[in-house]
Amino acid sequence: MAIVKDSGFEALEKLKSTEPPVFLAPSSKSEEARAASQHLFEKLKPYNPKSPFDELLVDGFDAEQIWQQIDMQSQPLLSSLRQEVNRFAKNPEEIRKLGNLTLKVSQKDDVDEMDMDGSESGDDELEANESEGEEEEDEEDEDEDGDEDEEEKNGDNEGIEDEFFKIKELEEFLEDGEAEEYGIDYKNKKGVAKKKKQNLRDDDDEEDDEEDEDDEFGAFAGGDDEEADKLGKAKYTDFFGGKKKETKVKWKDLSEDEAEFENDQGDVKLSTHEKERVKLQSKIEQMEKANLDPKHWTMQGEITAAKRPKNSALEVDLDFEHNARPAPVITEEVTASLEDLIKSRIIEARFDDVQRAPSMPTKAKREAKEMDESKSKKGLAEVYEDEYVRTANPAFAPTTFSDELKKEASMLFKNLCLKLDALSHFHFTPKPVIEEMSIQTNVPAIAMEEVAPVAVSDATMLAPEEIFSGKGDIKDESELTQEERKRRRAKKKRKFKAESAKEPVKKARDATTVAGSEGL
Amino acid sequence: MAESTQMEVETATQTAPLPAKPTFKPLKAHEMSDGKVQFRKISVPPNRYSPLKKAWLDIYTPIYDQMKVDIRMNLKGRKVELKTRADTPDISNLQKSADFVHAFMLGFDIPDAISLLRMDELYVESFEIKDVKTLKGEHLSRAIGRLSGKGGKTRFAIENSTKTRIVIADSRIHILGAFTNIKVARSSLCSLIMGSPAGKVYSKLRNVSARLNE
Repeated sequence: MAIVKDSGFEALEKLKSTEPPVFLAPSSKSEEARAASQHLFEKLKPYNPKSPFDELLVDGFDAEQIWQQIDMQSQPLLSSLRQEVNRFAKNPEEIRKLGNLTLKVSQKDDVDEMDMDGSESGDDELEANESEGEEEEDEEDEDEDGDEDEEEKNGDNEGIEDEFFKIKELEEFLEDGEAEEYGIDYKNKKGVAKKKKQNLRDDDDEEDDEEDEDDEFGAFAGGDDEEADKLGKAKYTDFFGGKKKETKVKWKDLSEDEAEFENDQGDVKLSTHEKERVKLQSKIEQMEKANLDPKHWTMQGEITAAKRPKNSALEVDLDFEHNARPAPVITEEVTASLEDLIKSRIIEARFDDVQRAPSMPTKAKREAKEMDESKSKKGLAEVYEDEYVRTANPAFAPTTFSDELKKEASMLFKNLCLKLDALSHFHFTPKPVIEEMSIQTNVPAIAMEEVAPVAVSDATMLAPEEIFSGKGDIKDESELTQEERKRRRAKKKRKFKAESAKEPVKKARDATTVAGSEGL
Repeated sequence: MAESTQMEVETATQTAPLPAKPTFKPLKAHEMSDGKVQFRKISVPPNRYSPLKKAWLDIYTPIYDQMKVDIRMNLKGRKVELKTRADTPDISNLQKSADFVHAFMLGFDIPDAISLLRMDELYVESFEIKDVKTLKGEHLSRAIGRLSGKGGKTRFAIENSTKTRIVIADSRIHILGAFTNIKVARSSLCSLIMGSPAGKVYSKLRNVSARLNE
């Protein structure tokens, strides 16, 4: 065991001494690293009863597997340690007890180791933290560091408190300093004081732990722990509180200066001014952040549909010009007004009817020459001859078919007109001039010679004497005596007999001829 | 000033008088080709042989009497021969007579062909249906039928409206008439060959002929 431990310790030493860049490349340090991790694993084993491994198996295992083993050990260890820390935070007196215990425990093991551990705790811590930043084989180291830190914390009181340095003295000193600076007896340290302590560095962890119970800034306590872990990454910010922190510090300095006179609260809460300041600051931060972020799509100027989220235009109240008048809203008043208008118009009879536009006066349609589908009777020469004659000498031109038709039509119409005039009135109407010469019979000479009525009644046709000669004594029927009536009847009979005598003779003659012929 | 002008006039009259412009009588047909006689020979197709025999006198009389051109029929060679006489007034008479006889040979009637003798501006144009559109067999027959129409009415309609005479001989078409009229008749015939219905052709004809006859 001792040999192993020694080898493990030596390995640690070697690792410590190597330059950091060596770790970046695969090198022979793997053996040493394995030995070192084994060593550390064994060290931590007593504190972790649940660990399934007795020792770290490194032969033939690759980094991932080794890491897993370490992880398995360290996970429950971490949680238990956290609990312990919380416990100590509540009950600081127990730390002393624990310190003694650990001292005893360590004494049981290897005093040298513990001393060395203790002396080199700081160095180890630093270097361990430094090597944390390296990637390859130092996953184990990280855990080692974690383990170391926790180990340290438990035993750190013992380690730190030497003849030169006492924690309590440190505390008192710090308190005095603060009191001087602020003129107030500080029992409860504020964040600024803490920051100052942090600036002093290294072993503030315990004090912070101790003050955890009074600590209003639990965050800072956590932060302190983290910072202690990250000593390897010590930066300007760690030492000088960072720019933000500084400003905060400054603000708080000022505020505390101002708040000196107001300090009745005695609690960690900010004064109203500080609160305003904080609010303003947050607002400013917000606005700055908003300025840095990309603008909302509505503020970006010309946007296409692809550049804005889907359906986003519906959510925004867009404003653009409508060139068309919006449709009129139909209300009762509108309809009432319309109806009144209609009624008044009807009463006035002022209908704005659309007038049919007068059509243009068209030219008279040309005489549509009828398409003659029969063989033309004239030869071509005659056709041209007729055409020529028509153009040259219209008088002698023979009438065309259309002309004859026209003539016939006109004749018919004239006759019709004549008859109609005659029917419509027996008054004098002048005789229409007809060019034709025709023999008129039964027209008295008076009609020919004079312009006389066309239709003449029977009364005028014959002379009175022609109608009745009027010989002898004319008597009306009622005036006749009986004898005269008998005489008239006898006369009638004689006439009738005479006429009938002629006819039978004729009939007889006809009959005889017929009979005669038949006989033959 | 006035004297100078008078002087000029006097000087002009004093110059020697130019000879009188010669006047020539128009050449007779006989004299035109240095006293030689001119001939025209028109061959007779076999289908026109008997119509020629029937209408021989109608052909002979106007040519011999009015055109003053000698005409005879060469039976052996199946040709009609024309010859200028001494008293043929104009050389164009011979040509006109030749055209007249040729028109008769194509198939035109005598009264129609006589118009060639009487008018100068009449021409005969011939073309074939295949010049317009390549048609074979039934299509050709149908096209010819379309051209003539039922009882020839389409053809007569074109003839009457355009003042032309048309002869359709199988796939050959001859048109006799004035130049513009021939064009109209030809276009309507072509549209008929291409396949347009008769009614369409009639309507077009009506429009065009109305314009022609103005």
